[in-house]
Amino acid sequence: MIGLDVGSSTAKIVRIEDGEIRYEITGTHKWRDLVEGIEKEDIISTGYFRHSVPHKASVTEITAAMFGAEYYFPEVEVIVDIGGQDTKVIDVKRNNFIINDKCSAGTGAFLEFVANYFKIELNELGSLHERAKRIPHINNTCGVFAVSEMISQLVAGYSQEEVVAGMHYAFARRISFMIPEAGTIVLIGGTVKNKGMVSALQDILKKEILIPEEPQIVNALGALKYYSG
Amino acid sequence: MPKIGITALVPPELIFACGGQPYDVNNVIPASKKYSKNKLCAWTAIWQEMLVKREFGIDSLIVVAGGDCHNALVDGQKAAMSGIPTHFFFYPFDGDHKYMESQLYSLCSFLGDIKYPEKFRQIKELKKAGQLIDKKRINGKISSAETFRILISFSDLWGDPDKFKRAIATVQENDIEINNRIALIGVPPIYHDFHDIAQSLDLQIVFDELPYEFVRHTGTGISEVARDYCDYTFARPLDFRIEFLQKELEKRKVDGVIHYTQFACHHMLEDEILRNRLDYPMLTIQGDLPGKTPEQIKLRLEAFREVLERS
Repeated sequence: MIGLDVGSSTAKIVRIEDGEIRYEITGTHKWRDLVEGIEKEDIISTGYFRHSVPHKASVTEITAAMFGAEYYFPEVEVIVDIGGQDTKVIDVKRNNFIINDKCSAGTGAFLEFVANYFKIELNELGSLHERAKRIPHINNTCGVFAVSEMISQLVAGYSQEEVVAGMHYAFARRISFMIPEAGTIVLIGGTVKNKGMVSALQDILKKEILIPEEPQIVNALGALKYYSG
Repeated sequence: MPKIGITALVPPELIFACGGQPYDVNNVIPASKKYSKNKLCAWTAIWQEMLVKREFGIDSLIVVAGGDCHNALVDGQKAAMSGIPTHFFFYPFDGDHKYMESQLYSLCSFLGDIKYPEKFRQIKELKKAGQLIDKKRINGKISSAETFRILISFSDLWGDPDKFKRAIATVQENDIEINNRIALIGVPPIYHDFHDIAQSLDLQIVFDELPYEFVRHTGTGISEVARDYCDYTFARPLDFRIEFLQKELEKRKVDGVIHYTQFACHHMLEDEILRNRLDYPMLTIQGDLPGKTPEQIKLRLEAFREVLERS
């Protein structure tokens, strides 16, 4: 039995062999490569494409995230899942969730704007942030206009590293508005690999944030756990 | 019979009694493919544009400018400025029935005074039938989509109480399995298939907050109408509305609440308070333009059902 998470940007497959979690990650549109030779009856799907990929059972990303995060951190109270196209905040304790998708300012797409502007890879943003000496304030009402503001900060003399750090704070502030009071916050999703964004969020929330070893596969694992118990 | 546009709940019994034919300008919007320019809330922006372009064929307009929709105050004025004879109606925030009575008399003058007082009783009887349909829905005898279609139409009774009465009589009864009893609070969804979609995801809506207000209030004359419509919850302080909701949700044994909000609508600001005060799992969704229920809303509904299954 495998868990298959086909999201807006990436596809992930998870299986448990001899108690070990094995996984693979690829681009969304290459999901077929992941399930080659696997019977439909052995697939539990989740993610945007959960209904359109072969599956024995499917579950939404929200429930999958709960099962996946609880596997790593049984005491989890709030899960923040920062995806490519939306951000989901799941209040496990109160059995509630909210999703931001009307605006890109709190999603992975926002950081893609930034990386695209500097012609760098997404995963370089975190290390740039670490080298920033000052953090400019960027007003984040809109992801696209925030990029215009970022350019103004460059004109005003801030370095690339500082502007990237400012954007991480703008991004993290946006997400922090969605997070309820909680003891244990678990962050999942590909964007969480960006250490600059995580430290900005930690600084704003003044809370310890837990991150699973491989935050991108939590939902695929959760789908599997949801079904197999 | 003059056709009288209404932008929100205005006692239809009074309009009929004055010889008018009420026409709720909101009712065509969910199935329309209209996208207005210069909009905040799509509901008011679309009817405003349709009014200005004379697409409704109404003779005059009553704008509920106090006690319900805040955008209507401005969009109603835009319609009035285009030359439509317009009356602005205000509900009392404090429930003062004397004030309400004065508003109703002022409305009567605008409409040309009461000519058919028997209409009050006729509409009251029809509203009893509407309440019965709602009761049957709660007990799984009528689908939520069918119930919603009837209840939402009580704002204007299709402008023809006799035709509407015949339509109510043809409502089919079924045995509907209810697994997740849902209260839909807030303004009605702008998606025309929302109740069917919820049902397909095993969420049965057993309470429609605003449409229930349409059948709950009535009266046999101005004084009774004034006293009864004073309790129109959307016009009153939040505490009043929440107290009513708490009783109603308990009575209907709901498992979860869906709070529908509309983009750029002031009711969105109530979400935090409603979440704190209503002790049920709650899903908040925000709609924008009319049409079919979008996929991202379906994801939320599906996830909400899973949440209820975990409860």
